[in-house]
Amino acid sequence: MAPSARTRKAASGASRRRRRPGRRPRRRIGPLRAVAVSLAILAFGFGVFVGRTVVRLDRVVTERFEGQLFRIPSRVFAAPTILYPGQELKVVDLRSTLERLGYRRESSERVAEPGAYHESAGRVRASLRGFRHPTRAQNPRRIEVRLRGSRIHAIRDLDAGREIAAVMLEPEPIGAFYGVERAQRELVRLDELPPHLEDAVLAVEDQRFERHSGIDWLRVLGAAWANVRAGDIRQGGSTLTQQLVKNFFLTPERTLSRKLQEAVMALIVEARYDKDAILEAYLNEIYLGQRGSTAVHGMGEASRFFFGKPASALSVEESALLAGLIQSPNSISPFRHPERALSRRDLVLDLMFEQGRIDEETHGQARARPLALAPPTTEPRDTRYFLDALRSQLPEVYDEKLLTSGGLSIYSTLDLRLQQRAAEALRIGLEQLEKTYPDLKREGARQLQGCLVALRPQTGEILALVGGRDYGDSQFNRCTQARRPAGSVFKPFVYLAALEARNGDPVITLASTLDDSPLTVRTPAGNWSPANYDRQFHGAVSVRDALERSLNVATARLGQRVGIDRIVDMARRLGIESPLAPVPSLALGAADLSPLELARAYATVGNGGIRPDVRSFEDLVDGEGNALERRSIAFERVLNPATAYLGISLLEGVVDRGTARALRSGGLNGAVAGKTGTSDDSNDVWFAGFTPELVAVVWVGFDEPATLRHSASRMALPIWLRFMRAATGGTVRGSFAVPPGIRRLDIDPETGALALAGCPRRRTEYFLQGTEPQFTCPEGSLFVRDRDGEVEGIVDHLFNRWIRGLFQ
Amino acid sequence: MVRGLASIVAVSLLAACVAPTGRPPLTVEPMRVRDARDAGDPQRRASTRLVLEALDAEISERPDRAVALLQSALRVDPTNPWAYLVLARQRVAGARPAAGLAALEQAEARLRAEGELDPRVAVHLVGLRGVALVASGEPARGRPLLADAAARAPGVWADGRLDARELR
Repeated sequence: MAPSARTRKAASGASRRRRRPGRRPRRRIGPLRAVAVSLAILAFGFGVFVGRTVVRLDRVVTERFEGQLFRIPSRVFAAPTILYPGQELKVVDLRSTLERLGYRRESSERVAEPGAYHESAGRVRASLRGFRHPTRAQNPRRIEVRLRGSRIHAIRDLDAGREIAAVMLEPEPIGAFYGVERAQRELVRLDELPPHLEDAVLAVEDQRFERHSGIDWLRVLGAAWANVRAGDIRQGGSTLTQQLVKNFFLTPERTLSRKLQEAVMALIVEARYDKDAILEAYLNEIYLGQRGSTAVHGMGEASRFFFGKPASALSVEESALLAGLIQSPNSISPFRHPERALSRRDLVLDLMFEQGRIDEETHGQARARPLALAPPTTEPRDTRYFLDALRSQLPEVYDEKLLTSGGLSIYSTLDLRLQQRAAEALRIGLEQLEKTYPDLKREGARQLQGCLVALRPQTGEILALVGGRDYGDSQFNRCTQARRPAGSVFKPFVYLAALEARNGDPVITLASTLDDSPLTVRTPAGNWSPANYDRQFHGAVSVRDALERSLNVATARLGQRVGIDRIVDMARRLGIESPLAPVPSLALGAADLSPLELARAYATVGNGGIRPDVRSFEDLVDGEGNALERRSIAFERVLNPATAYLGISLLEGVVDRGTARALRSGGLNGAVAGKTGTSDDSNDVWFAGFTPELVAVVWVGFDEPATLRHSASRMALPIWLRFMRAATGGTVRGSFAVPPGIRRLDIDPETGALALAGCPRRRTEYFLQGTEPQFTCPEGSLFVRDRDGEVEGIVDHLFNRWIRGLFQ
Repeated sequence: MVRGLASIVAVSLLAACVAPTGRPPLTVEPMRVRDARDAGDPQRRASTRLVLEALDAEISERPDRAVALLQSALRVDPTNPWAYLVLARQRVAGARPAAGLAALEQAEARLRAEGELDPRVAVHLVGLRGVALVASGEPARGRPLLADAAARAPGVWADGRLDARELR
């Protein structure tokens, strides 16, 4: 109970009387003073709380604004498309390429603005956008591509008024390394934006932006009154600064405490930073739509997405549309709701006019223009496995955090057209296999899988990589992460080791005969007795026959003659890096390899014995355009070109006559070499092959090994064929040239002897110089070989000797 | 018999032309990439023009751009020997002799495959190989090659180097 005033006062007097000198008197506090003190304490506490809150919020604001303002996912680009006269249109697929790049199709052939194209009979005009790149930068230019039949006839630079030999289109984005928010933005600076974009945004979102200090009290009151009248929250009074604060720091919930925080932070932002910095941050932050699963943030990105042009090139009506989208990007999306978008755009134009930001003429003209949108673009889904493979090739310093927020640009080697063909070939191929062999159809994670990787043999560039059936279902990359039994695709390494002349004569020549009769090899693990796929033995067979028919026993015996060490050495030199157990069955492919390393090894053979370094990117560039990493073409001679050629010739035989002859009947013409591979237990099937300009490997199997019961020529080869036919158009360019050091002679296929004029049987065969057969078939004994190894009749031979004698 | 007669004629002509003169080895007018500008199929022609642009970039001292253009040239036609030859020159000139020798291997293999390895081109291969070998610490092997190149094409190789202008 509180004491009365009288009591408090008397007590106070008594207290004063009892006070002794040097002792502090006991004070009695009156009720008013107590209240005042309490209030003061409360006020102090509140002040401390507010002060601490403000300090905390200030730290949050400054840390963000003065640190990394935006986390920008690093983008990855495909290798640029290069157009040149004479090019097959189906190879370049010009219109699709332009549309994927977001070029707008225009009815006018002027194509004045970058990012537009016009198509008419026999020609395509395009106003190419420039692009920044440390070494391949290109200025915007207008070109005309003249077409004749199915080819590009000529390319003309319209501005320079001259024909050009080749033109490079800007690199196509193929994906990005996103953080959890999956947001993409292209940063823009305020001084590079057209003033009408700023006007449009301020007109519709915050017309007193220049005058308020973070909170527009007039607008708050107006919104409050409108909401009271409506009995609901209909209007917001947020300034542009408050919106920015909300997007940067706060959750979207509508609570009083969040609104207070928003207001305080808006005041802090306005106190600390100038209006231009705030506006620039806002224009880069604001959410403006959705590209597939990726959020489009900021005017730079939105301008590319909706209009296919940089924000600096936006027109008044385009700026008005973007500004209009801020309120509700998805429900006014011009792609899905063009009439709503048009009406919103016109509203913004009206506001701009009413506020004196544009004149009447501009307003009228802008309102009269239709929506001119670029075709909607999505990031290709097929490239995700490639992006993972690329990430694994980057130096460790490019970690998850840097890749997801550093705004790097990575210029990859991927050929987007080939990538799409590869993805399609694998998808259709696996579906067809399941239809043809219903026992292979499984559900979910157990379903049949496959992968396809394609390289350029000369330069090692990865052109296409599809690591599985569906990245959404399984991110395991079967081209780079899986190691599966190689089976017969390994055999060419055995033959190359046997054909190579190292420290003496080679173990075999292409005229040799191999023994395909029962074989038992003693090993520490017990006896090993290889068998052929057809469970039969074929006796004496030629080297070609043995490889073309993929005979296991003959190859195993050859492996014994060559020696496992030499086989391992050959595989290593060609580019195989996986562990190789030195066991006799290695000759038949008892080694777990990745499709990518196998592709590299075949590329080395196809490239005449020069091994390329595998590359998935060329340049890595930071946000300011400075080159951080560069991967140059690198290669090394690891095999004599003549020996490599013998390997190529053998593998051509596999395609022309052997287990891969279905490639020919399937419509693939020209120089093609390759090898089927079925692992010992039929769990894995492969096809590895190459043309002079492309090498590709296909693997098919189950992730959890299970028998496929069918051979590679029925399972992996059709996928390879579909891809290669699409990649080459069905006719392969170029040929495998015969290098020096190779002799081409006719031999008797039965005996391996020289087939001279009298020999009834003959087949052309290739030999390393100095390893040619030294004897002839019995019927050809009237013929001899001269000093240069040429075969001639005995009469010619004697006459030529006489002539030479005259001149010596 | 016919071959025999043909041999007589050929050998006689050769003897008449070469035997009595006793002159030093014939010099050659070295090949320039521009000589091959219009050769080959459209793919090759476009690629060779990019190679020429790469040489232009080198001449105007933009080596990074030159590398990028060469990569583009190889993307258009990965079998273009001129691209490898220019790449080899660039690497040798950039003190990367091992990489230069590897590119020379590619160039030579492609030139041979296409039947283009005539003395006018071979002199560059010999000279560049010489420079690369000297730079990689094998002067005993490299100097004779350089001397050979200088003897065959003194106008270009007398100074022991191949300038981008001289190859263009």
